[in-house]
Amino acid sequence: MAVGTFLEALREALLEEMEDDERVFLLGEDIATYGGAFKLTQGFVERFGPGRVIDTPIAEGGIIGAAIGAALMGLRPVAEMQFLDFISCGFDQLTNFAAKVHYRWGQPVPIVVRGPGGAAGGGPFHSQSVEMYFIKTPGIKVVEPSTAADAKLLLKAAIRDPNPVLFIEHKGLYRAPALREELPDRAAVGELGRAAIRRDGSDLVIITYGAMVHKSLEAAEQIAREDGAQVRVLDLRTLQPMDDAAIMEAVRACARVLIVHEDTRTAGLAGEITARINEQAFEWLDAPIRRVTALDTPVPYNKNLEAAFLPQVPDIVRAARGLLDY
Amino acid sequence: MKRYPAYEFPEYVDWRPDPAVQQAFADRLVADPARAAVIGALDREALLSLYEGLVRARLHDIHLKRWVKQGVITKAWLGAGEEAVTVGACAALRPEDVVGPMIRNAAACFQRGMPMVECFAAYLGTTDAITQGRDLHIGDLEFGVVPPISHVGDLVPVMAGCALAFRLRGEPRVAVTWTGDGSTATGAVHEGLRMASATRAPFICFVQNNLVALGTRGQAHFTGDFADLPAAYGMTGMVVDGNNVLDVYAATVLAAERCRRGEGPVLIVAQTFRMGGHATHDEREARELFPPEVFAHWGQRDPIGCFETWLVEARGVAPEALSAIEARVDAAIEAAAREAVSGKGVREPDPATVAQGVWA
Repeated sequence: MAVGTFLEALREALLEEMEDDERVFLLGEDIATYGGAFKLTQGFVERFGPGRVIDTPIAEGGIIGAAIGAALMGLRPVAEMQFLDFISCGFDQLTNFAAKVHYRWGQPVPIVVRGPGGAAGGGPFHSQSVEMYFIKTPGIKVVEPSTAADAKLLLKAAIRDPNPVLFIEHKGLYRAPALREELPDRAAVGELGRAAIRRDGSDLVIITYGAMVHKSLEAAEQIAREDGAQVRVLDLRTLQPMDDAAIMEAVRACARVLIVHEDTRTAGLAGEITARINEQAFEWLDAPIRRVTALDTPVPYNKNLEAAFLPQVPDIVRAARGLLDY
Repeated sequence: MKRYPAYEFPEYVDWRPDPAVQQAFADRLVADPARAAVIGALDREALLSLYEGLVRARLHDIHLKRWVKQGVITKAWLGAGEEAVTVGACAALRPEDVVGPMIRNAAACFQRGMPMVECFAAYLGTTDAITQGRDLHIGDLEFGVVPPISHVGDLVPVMAGCALAFRLRGEPRVAVTWTGDGSTATGAVHEGLRMASATRAPFICFVQNNLVALGTRGQAHFTGDFADLPAAYGMTGMVVDGNNVLDVYAATVLAAERCRRGEGPVLIVAQTFRMGGHATHDEREARELFPPEVFAHWGQRDPIGCFETWLVEARGVAPEALSAIEARVDAAIEAAAREAVSGKGVREPDPATVAQGVWA
């Protein structure tokens, strides 16, 4: 077993799936000779040839559409969006074509659309959280891992899933040294739709996902140190379908809920989680549900502006304390 | 074939062959030596099969129109007058090929062998159709048919992707789709053609230029020449008479051969005309879009009338043989329509199933 970063974990997942299943192939912009904008697929074209690692035109709708067609013909395409912001150009193919095929005529569309999302200094068009555009559309699974091991396990699961899967990789995690860890071996495959408890506790639960898992963990440690309260951190991992059972279990165990996401506030996932808790576990709550999210603005470019836009550890600590004191 | 004054375009009701138009039809068959050779190789059975396909397509549309008139359905999207583009193309393909028809190419479904009753049932929304009442756009991969969505143009990248799969696996199969002149304006068509061109996929795309985009004349927003598109995309280009089933057939055979040889995608521009409305509800508006001479011009080029006349006059087919085919097809469609309608109110989807099938 090898130690690797988040990015290396993703690379290993792609590599192993391509080795183990000849139906799996990659298509995207600059992924072959260039090796991908983040060099995630460096060496792949040399290893698998241009037939299975396809440099496409700058045409996200064409890429996703072609992936759908290839999937209908029995292949397992993995389409890369160079930055997930650009998935808007392929929105129609994903939401109107891929998402509706199985409901309309019973045919599975096993495609993965993956790429880097989230803010890491890229400004309004290279930093967005795109999950809610697709969670709103029945028929698309949405996955966002927070650890290197999960990145590998869940990407493999996404490739093997018979549904269209949007796989969101926070680019800030790609090469984060703190995330280097032992990667699962070749035979291990994750399971979509299951949340994970990253830190146990029963005084408050922070429900979160993606890069915010790490800021939430930092906040939880600080609260444990300074306040003596034990905060549970629940990492959703799969955003659609969501692990309602794990959420409700956490509500029953902790009675106080804080939801943290990097996506903007209005119609962000926190709203949906809150509604589900109200429907399924309201009587277990000892305090109103609160949320810490990005602001309702485009993602700004300047570093200080971006930091003000994003949820920060002190924001999480402050909100958590407010709930603990409620 | 028999004409139905209650349902057919006025130009078709008393259709009689025009010698000059028939001569042009015949000239077209020999204008290109390669296509002429393909057409020359068609035996009587193959010719009659093309005729049967055209008649089936027309009668299917007439039945849908009848249903609209009777209130069985509220509207239907028809391919009447444009049948040759669909039938000629499908007849040139092999069972292992796949097609992605627009709703106006619905004839591709039964041309590929899908039971007619399923196609009718899809309109009715009953469980007799593969769509189980969830959609009226129909197709079935068992017959190599990918159903369209309402977003015109979106099939082009999808079918290019089917073709890409064939290329990756080294299979001698071809993927075919049609796009209207109107939907060539979409980004989807452009991206799909660029994808096909970039991957040298065995893909045939028809631009079915029926001169109108829903309720606006095509020339109102496109003054270029569709025949220039293939060169711009680095694709092999062909132009066909979209009302001449033999010309469409021959071009598709040659295009498919190119694809199977690994010579990359082909864009075929088919010139035709939409005699009816965008759907059955706006035939009046459609008639107001062009002067009567345009309808007279294209009406005289009825793909069925012209082909029928050619079969009798140039190939010596007895009119009785054609009538026999028509009677057989008519009876089959009647039976299918009757069976489909018998499911209405009976084989309806159970509301309890509404949430099933979102996920595979």
